[in-house]
Amino acid sequence: MLKDIFRYAMKVLTEKRFRAVLTIIGISIGPLALVMMTSTVRGYANYVEGAILALGQNTVVILPSERYRLSSSDLDYIRSLDEVDEAEPFYSTQGYIQTAEGRRNVFIYAVNPSILVKAIGNLELEDGEFPLDVEITYCVIGYSIAYSTTSNTRLFETGDSITVNVVEVLSGGKLNLRRISLRVKGVLREFGGAALVSPDQTIFLPARSGPTILNIKDISGIFIVARDPSLVDVLVRKIRDVYQDKVTVVAFQQIARTVSSVTAALDFIVFSASLSAFAVAVAGTASTMITSVIERTREIGVLKALGFTDKQVVFMILAESIIMSLIGGAIGIVSGVIGAHILSSRGLAIPAGPSGSSGLLIVANPEITADLVLTTVFITVAVGIVGGTLPAYRAAKIPPATALRYE
Amino acid sequence: MSNEKGLLMQLVDVWKAYRVGDVVTWALKGVNLSIVRGDFIAIMGPSGSGKTTLLNIIGLLDRPTKGKVYVDGVDVSVLPSDELARLRNKKIGFVFQQFNLVARMTVYENIELPLIPAGVSPRLRREMILRALKAVGGEEEWLIKKPTQLSGGQQQRVAIARALVNNPEIILADEPTGNLDRASARVVVDTFVKINTRGQTVVVVTHDPEVANCVNKIYIIRDGVIKDLRTPSKNECLLYKEIK
Repeated sequence: MLKDIFRYAMKVLTEKRFRAVLTIIGISIGPLALVMMTSTVRGYANYVEGAILALGQNTVVILPSERYRLSSSDLDYIRSLDEVDEAEPFYSTQGYIQTAEGRRNVFIYAVNPSILVKAIGNLELEDGEFPLDVEITYCVIGYSIAYSTTSNTRLFETGDSITVNVVEVLSGGKLNLRRISLRVKGVLREFGGAALVSPDQTIFLPARSGPTILNIKDISGIFIVARDPSLVDVLVRKIRDVYQDKVTVVAFQQIARTVSSVTAALDFIVFSASLSAFAVAVAGTASTMITSVIERTREIGVLKALGFTDKQVVFMILAESIIMSLIGGAIGIVSGVIGAHILSSRGLAIPAGPSGSSGLLIVANPEITADLVLTTVFITVAVGIVGGTLPAYRAAKIPPATALRYE
Repeated sequence: MSNEKGLLMQLVDVWKAYRVGDVVTWALKGVNLSIVRGDFIAIMGPSGSGKTTLLNIIGLLDRPTKGKVYVDGVDVSVLPSDELARLRNKKIGFVFQQFNLVARMTVYENIELPLIPAGVSPRLRREMILRALKAVGGEEEWLIKKPTQLSGGQQQRVAIARALVNNPEIILADEPTGNLDRASARVVVDTFVKINTRGQTVVVVTHDPEVANCVNKIYIIRDGVIKDLRTPSKNECLLYKEIK
């Protein structure tokens, strides 16, 4: 019986092919929007969240405000806190290098390597080693600096010298470019995901190089490693209580949580926006089905005369709208997946460093999950059922004698 | 109501009103009618006399405003619509003036339609469809054709096959020859005569004297009232003459 009903419905749809196709296109917009937007948002959110968490769940960074200068006494105070395992100052700036492939922007960090490895998870050397504290002209370079962008060949080997044009802030806020020559002591493995810091595009020097080689007078910030991830919130609160707005306290764990809640909100907004497309689809389906039912009034009368019950007539009409919604759903989901890949491949520009002064383009794959596809299919079928119910009910309730008289 | 032997259907004091706005029109005014198994009945009368309304009530397509309709002794005027649909499927076959075949479907699929709600398995359907088509003198090659590829007479025979396929107890036909030329009409009447000769009950609403001459009862209806019951002589039926 069910098979007969669906066969009958298919016949009706193929007879009015053009109208069915237009309705199916209308239906497909909802699943397209839902799959494309949700998977793209979730893909990027997971990428950013993952990248932030990779920086270390125990890590807290303190950045001074423009009005405040961090000193060794601040460092001592931080180190004295119970929650702190280790705290080290860092000096940061930016610059560029010239390679055979052209100019390449780089971040420059002067920081104790031991805290660097603790603060930024997954940071490993491909070869060489971190320079000793006294080796102020030695550096470790990120993967993207060491390797060519077009082929997998090394541009810099351990032991090579590298000339860096460093941005210097002079008194009065004036900027100056100074050329320094460093020796490569190690090359980092590819880090990948970049959020807040981008090790692949960074040159790391010992902490002492900051005030000397880089000529940075003040501490740029303090890297702190908490004893346990559960102590991060308490630690952040303590520092904020003491310093108020003199410093910005950045906890990667908290940022990840914020990103997660923003993602949830964004997910909801995307879902709500998609629902409006589904609402339009319900109206479109209902309109198509009402027209179809009116056109076939006499035929429905014949079916009833031949013994089809009201319920069977309802199922027949609903089958048509369900078939259209399933086809529309399939088309929408497939185009949503394609659209999501196209959208994601365009990349998303986000601030790369704590200063936010230089942008980075990240490219994340859309997250297409079985859960998302099933939800979309479920809503799309609901569109068919809701859109078809009124016309089906109307068809079932036409008295057969009246339907047979219909011209 | 006792179920008299052979009594298939009985209408007792049936009234039917149609309301258009504030105006109420009585299409039937106290009709009493009995249909015995094996009857071949013609309902005749001028346009607007209530013939089709009466046929719709006999066919359980419409409910009387007043009065009772009994099928095999059971009052069906109070049955829910789905129950009436099942009863129609089991006991009644319909033939319409305009054939009412579904144009997008093949002849096979059209004849198959009553078998779907009857729950006949697809395995048995082909045999039943072929038997019905054969009973109306149809050809197997029609099965794959669309109704529009057949002549009017052929289409009406397909419609009769559809009415017969479930082997119902009664065939109801509303002006079955109204849209046909004489030759085709003769073939259709011939088909009804053969069906009735095999013992199936046939009720036909018609204006066509050639049809009326072949039935065994003619009810004349005027202004919603049965005015006369005639029993024509089979000698008048050209088809019977030919059969003899």
